[in-house]
Amino acid sequence: MIDQLEPAPEKGEYDFYFGPAHPGSGNFGVKLKIEGEKVISARADPGYLHRGFEKLMEYRLPLQNAVLSDRLCILEAMNWNLIHAQAVDQLMHIEVPERAQYIRVIMAELSRIQSHIIWYGVFSLATGFDTGFKIAFGYRDYIMDLFELITGGRVYPAGYLCPGGVRRDFPPNTEQKILSVLDLMEEMVQLEELENPSYLQRTEGIGVLSLEDALRLGATGPVLRASGMASDVRKEEPYEIYDRIDFDVPVKGEGDAYARNRIGIEEMIQSIGIVRQALDELPGGEVRASKFKKPKLATKIPAGEVYVRNEVARGEAGMYMVSNGEKTPYRVKIRGPDFLHMIPVLEFLLKGAEVADIPAIYWSLNICPADMDR
Amino acid sequence: MAVKGENNREKQTQREGERDILEKISQKFNIEGEIERNQRIWVSVDKEILIKLCKFMRDQGFVHLSAISVTDWLDEGKYEIVYLLWSYTDKILLGIKTKIDRDNPIIDSVVPVWMESAQIHERELHELFGVVFEGNSDLAPLFLEDWDGPPPFRKDFDWREYVREEYYDKENVREGVYFD
Repeated sequence: MIDQLEPAPEKGEYDFYFGPAHPGSGNFGVKLKIEGEKVISARADPGYLHRGFEKLMEYRLPLQNAVLSDRLCILEAMNWNLIHAQAVDQLMHIEVPERAQYIRVIMAELSRIQSHIIWYGVFSLATGFDTGFKIAFGYRDYIMDLFELITGGRVYPAGYLCPGGVRRDFPPNTEQKILSVLDLMEEMVQLEELENPSYLQRTEGIGVLSLEDALRLGATGPVLRASGMASDVRKEEPYEIYDRIDFDVPVKGEGDAYARNRIGIEEMIQSIGIVRQALDELPGGEVRASKFKKPKLATKIPAGEVYVRNEVARGEAGMYMVSNGEKTPYRVKIRGPDFLHMIPVLEFLLKGAEVADIPAIYWSLNICPADMDR
Repeated sequence: MAVKGENNREKQTQREGERDILEKISQKFNIEGEIERNQRIWVSVDKEILIKLCKFMRDQGFVHLSAISVTDWLDEGKYEIVYLLWSYTDKILLGIKTKIDRDNPIIDSVVPVWMESAQIHERELHELFGVVFEGNSDLAPLFLEDWDGPPPFRKDFDWREYVREEYYDKENVREGVYFD
């Protein structure tokens, strides 16, 4: 790619390649044209994490795909587990036991909290506040410990939220452990430093996305909510047991990097509340539909199609699954929120920005190259 | 999925919003749609009226293009293109499906309707399925680098065969197993 860049012309206009090896960019690059300190144009260069999941899933059984779905986003594997499990459940008309639905919501929200912690951490790093990064990753580890206890894996749960329910029930005393980790998360939220003048200078009025632009560019989730639209799939189209849970959808109107970060913090507080409520009401009983208790690999998926939407930490995620009655799905289309956030939205926001603001804009979108490339 | 909570049960029996939208579509275009369940409607159309229908639906509140997908029906010789739209006002998802010839996959672009968000979805599908979206000015390669093979997500492209041919050596002890 480097050899394709044009040499710098005399008047001070030059090409600048942000990523993919930049520590702050993830496996993703942006080609920028810069004059002086101003970005004239930006062109996203995705594909470094393209593994072709949609095609791979066509060759695999739902139980194998459950494990594969972990890898759709490294930073919030559990939420992608859930969306795959829901797609298969709906195609196979499986009634998920109530306890499993509660466990699914608890795990998805814990996953959202740790994903927002990473967001805060990398954003701090991008704006030159190293301590924030270290605090964030330290506190995130408590949730990783819970994941290890419950699923066996710290980052990848290996298809814990699987078709028919969840892979296994909570081990003894898990509820108490989750509650004590939630106390630590509340402590973490208190520690997140957002009112410091140098932080405000780096974020306020930076990367402003108006509501009209956000809708036109296909933004969803925290990015859309920071631009003034109270849209959340958990409210609009409640799945699992979200319709029984009381929570707010944080909204801001400014649409800048600061507003997006505040949304992240407020969502963490909401998620902590959701987990507490779900734990309060957690019923007993089975955690896996009887049809899937002893999964037969030869089970055929009834012909049909579904489109499942979920609210993951980054925005709207979707899975469109078509079956023609075989054991493997005929077609799977995965819609990741970052496909829109990292290409049209990022290109739009970077155009006209200052070079020094690039990391702040970039990380204020809560990006994850994995669910964009798929 | 089980229906949860009293509110949902009530909504499911009525489905007024869903029926209203289908009514509007059938009045204007004489097409019958199908209500799959709450908040899910599917409509199949000919590709000639696709753009008109999309414009109409956008003006009815379906401002969010959630995704575009292509299903390759190999036996039928058709590509089925699916536009998944979401209305923030009605809180309903509408899937518009249209079939085009698989060997000559050309269809009008929906970029004039949903702007940049449609642009990027179409660019992806052009690369992975080879669909030509007429009117989309930027269909440059997106994910694949230096790829000159057929569109890789087509059903008749056997990637296992391709990888064996291109990257594995039958004589190599470790790689020979892939040829069994």
